[in-house]
Amino acid sequence: MTFGIDSRDIALAGAALALLLGPSLRASEPIDPGRFETLHRTIQPRPDEERWLQIPWETSLWEARRKASAEGKPILLWEMDGNPLGCT
Amino acid sequence: MASEDFIPVVGDDWYQRRRQDAEGEFLRKVAGQGPRGGQGGTLQGIYTLTPDGTLLAYKNAGQAPDVMREVLRNALDAWNRLPESRRRSAAIASEDLGTVDAQYDRTPPEGGLIVKVFTRALERDESGDDPNVYSCAPGRGGEAARDHLWLTEEDWKALIPEDPTPGQMISIPDRVVRRIVRFHLVDNTRGEPPFWGDEEVREATMTLTVEDVSPDRVRLRLVGNALLATSADVSQADRGYDASLLGVVEIDRPSRSITRFDVVALGDHWGEGPYTRGARPGRSPLGVAFMLVDGSNPADRIAPQASRFLPGYLEP
Repeated sequence: MTFGIDSRDIALAGAALALLLGPSLRASEPIDPGRFETLHRTIQPRPDEERWLQIPWETSLWEARRKASAEGKPILLWEMDGNPLGCT
Repeated sequence: MASEDFIPVVGDDWYQRRRQDAEGEFLRKVAGQGPRGGQGGTLQGIYTLTPDGTLLAYKNAGQAPDVMREVLRNALDAWNRLPESRRRSAAIASEDLGTVDAQYDRTPPEGGLIVKVFTRALERDESGDDPNVYSCAPGRGGEAARDHLWLTEEDWKALIPEDPTPGQMISIPDRVVRRIVRFHLVDNTRGEPPFWGDEEVREATMTLTVEDVSPDRVRLRLVGNALLATSADVSQADRGYDASLLGVVEIDRPSRSITRFDVVALGDHWGEGPYTRGARPGRSPLGVAFMLVDGSNPADRIAPQASRFLPGYLEP
């Protein structure tokens, strides 16, 4: 009598293992390393999306007040829930 | 006009309206002269003011450039009518802030790293020829949103292997994995996003492998995935993100410092939060890109949106 493992046995073992591990909930595919750089660049802002950052925004109202008084200028305050430079 | 005629400044109102120090009192004094009032709820808006705290003009929001320009012109007219003594004051220019309300003031962790985080709604290749080609979706949340990931000194030092050899696996602290997935794999392209609760992290894995070693440099590859969903039955979740991650981390060996932290998360997102209405229907690709910055630009030192409760952000 001989014992062997054929492709049907392997398929059954694989199915049993999958049942033991549970179904994967995820659908997303791994990211292709060859596309990494392009993808990383695509997500970052383009220069035309950052024109508002050419304004030299201060991030401290107190420091802006001191600077305004020293330079003789009024203050322009952009106050939002979520920092305008950091949230959206 | 904003750059030349004014001192422009931004503020996160969630902190600013709460802070109990001279800066908070100053803001409330200014806001009290406008339609927001100085007490209670939100003080959001665009203010022009004098250094001694007189409101010149207020506008709720600045989406209409012509209207905003007119508001700024009127403010400048009012400013120019003030006597010189009101416009320049050596006393104010040297006034000390005094004790800062640390509960509502955030600075990057000492010795830590700042990682810029951009998020963008993407579209798959329109021709359908290549499902792996993505482009921006302007006007539909396609503009890049921004936030910052803070890594403490203890966090980033844990990523540096003592004796690196190719193929070696580096364990990423669980707190770093949780911080990234819960607070930075979010759709903030339309406003303040809801963050993921701990119980909403269905899967989260990240591995860091030594890929290349030279006398000067070590390159590590980060691979991971995350499944985030508001329901354990993901098919029924009204909000979710099913993403893969890939990244490159580089270490300068002589200084034992991290010089590159480029990571991408890509996957399908669905659903919206109370302040992010108007999501695209169904599941659509959302990309998140991480990159190291040195913090020399004040804009890069803005606190992570999720750090309002700082201990919970650092140890999620």
